[in-house]
Amino acid sequence: MVAQIVAVTIFIVMFALIISEKIERHVASLGCGLLMLILVFGVCMHSGSAVLNTLNVGSIFTPGFWYSAGETSESPAGINWETIFFITGMMVMVEGMGRAGFFRWLCLCIARLVKYKAVRIFITFMMMSFVLAMFIDSITVILFLAAVTVELARLLQFNPVPVILAEVFCANLGGSATMCGDPPNIIIGTSLGYTFSDFVTNTGLIALICLVFVIIYFYICFRRELGSGQTDVQVSSLNPGDAIENKKDFTISCMIFAVTVVLLVTHAQTGLTVSTIGTVIGIVTLITAGRDAVVLLKKVDYKTLVFFIGLFVVVGGLEQTGILEVIAGFIADISEGNAMLMIAIVLWISAVASAFVDNIPFAATMIPIIKSLAASQGVALPVLAWTLAIGTDIGGSATPIGASANVVGISVAAKNGHMIGWGRYCRYMAPATILVVLISMVCIYLRYF
Amino acid sequence: MGEQLIISVGREFGSGGHVIAGALAERFGLPLYDHNLLDEIAEGKNVDGQSLKMYDEKHKNRLFSRKVRGHSTSMEDHVADMQFEFLQKLAGEGKSFVIVGRCAETKLRKYPGLVSIFVLGDEKCKIQRVMERYHLAEDAAKQKMKMADWNRKRYHNYHCAGKWGDSRNYDFSINSSRLGIEKTVDFLEEYIRERQAMVTGQPG
Repeated sequence: MVAQIVAVTIFIVMFALIISEKIERHVASLGCGLLMLILVFGVCMHSGSAVLNTLNVGSIFTPGFWYSAGETSESPAGINWETIFFITGMMVMVEGMGRAGFFRWLCLCIARLVKYKAVRIFITFMMMSFVLAMFIDSITVILFLAAVTVELARLLQFNPVPVILAEVFCANLGGSATMCGDPPNIIIGTSLGYTFSDFVTNTGLIALICLVFVIIYFYICFRRELGSGQTDVQVSSLNPGDAIENKKDFTISCMIFAVTVVLLVTHAQTGLTVSTIGTVIGIVTLITAGRDAVVLLKKVDYKTLVFFIGLFVVVGGLEQTGILEVIAGFIADISEGNAMLMIAIVLWISAVASAFVDNIPFAATMIPIIKSLAASQGVALPVLAWTLAIGTDIGGSATPIGASANVVGISVAAKNGHMIGWGRYCRYMAPATILVVLISMVCIYLRYF
Repeated sequence: MGEQLIISVGREFGSGGHVIAGALAERFGLPLYDHNLLDEIAEGKNVDGQSLKMYDEKHKNRLFSRKVRGHSTSMEDHVADMQFEFLQKLAGEGKSFVIVGRCAETKLRKYPGLVSIFVLGDEKCKIQRVMERYHLAEDAAKQKMKMADWNRKRYHNYHCAGKWGDSRNYDFSINSSRLGIEKTVDFLEEYIRERQAMVTGQPG
């Protein structure tokens, strides 16, 4: 009981520190992770094995970490090194692509393809945001997309804010479609042993249906604000070819990206785990970068990786003390064993929570809870997993602080003088989020019940 | 100090700091920057200045903002950063000007041409000024003054290491209630000319 109280206190302190931004989130999670190891496992539980289980370093040296022989399995509790390895590799690859000018080139190509018409740019950029976010982290997608949007808006004289808001929403939606689209999905997939195609055929399908409604919704909201734009302006400064910094680097990064997509899509068949894919693409990117490898390595967001490690330890502490089973029991009691109600609770709690707090710690905390719910209540674990993924990924769109893509989109707009406060943001994004969560709930009910 | 002269004026609400800054700008023939700074910034970005002024000299709400990899949702932070960058640009180009608030005493510290002043005042005098200027009753004026000072303090202390109004951060802290606005301006003018003279070797 004491261990549970201490574990919950540490968890709450970590969340409070992350929200307050008094100290950086990676320091908060790592510090609280250390406290969890010392106070909960050491002082309260006197359990050396709990410490080892949570650190989970041994898993890296098992064959299953690198090759799953066609079968995937659930990861043990504690630090999910598979997620860490995969995200690191992806960060290196994305950095290489950004340096080569891939994203800017793609944006300008599409803008030219649609003849620089504001409404067409609006719709195609939404779709591009969705597709890119399926494979690349949404921060990078929005960073490039929003910057090009502002540039196009200035030249073509349309308001970039509606386009940026729609791009942000679609990036979060696209992230829910695949296993590597959003960190919660990577954690859910690697923790519960799901494959890329498992996600695509479940959350991916739902996300695609939602995308259709989202495009219609945003078009109705913003069609007047966008107007037709001015297309008779000089667009010679927008030559896609100019975006390419170095043709050799550009070709290589395109090839690496294509290979990554193929490896991810086929990893259930090839048996290569996401940690292998992440490691391989990271190494190949560094080798092909030559002298720039050091620059790429320096650009890796180590703070996020450290944040993940600390977070996994804190959640591992909660799991080891059994407190998450108590929460699972509470959800089971409220829903009285009704699976549909349970799904609704998981979906809406995930969505609402993710609208206000970081969805990564929330998803990591919820995984043991849905595992416990599935075991005790007989609800299919995959259905709960897809529900959790959709709730956490999409819920984040509702408020400016809900997801990283929102923060980056708002920031890029603001730096260019287009202010997006809470009111302006929530007026359009909160109803869109509610709409998509509702559609997702209907899809889940129709497909799985 | 060379030829560049930047006068930064921090102020308590109701102390007459803004009027003093305006008078100094006139006497030294310098442009005065306050919230009008945002008009120039907005013009450069081809946006409406009013949308920026909503967030001028305001501190961010930590609970309702978030930072990701150096990006922030706080409009207050963005507007502050735009102003700091703009001031740095002006100062970097060697321009002379008078700037009211906006953490200028800290942000422009590296420029030898900076003279930083903080204007304070006795509570009674400040309330009297606020009552006259905004046509308020005493209680309402006091409330307005407290709120404005609290906001300025939070804004300043969030963006700077030194504390707002702490005399160690400024070249000169002066109570405008002692001499009155006009004589305070005379006194400051004399001080600034003396500073200029020390650097140029010319009589003030």
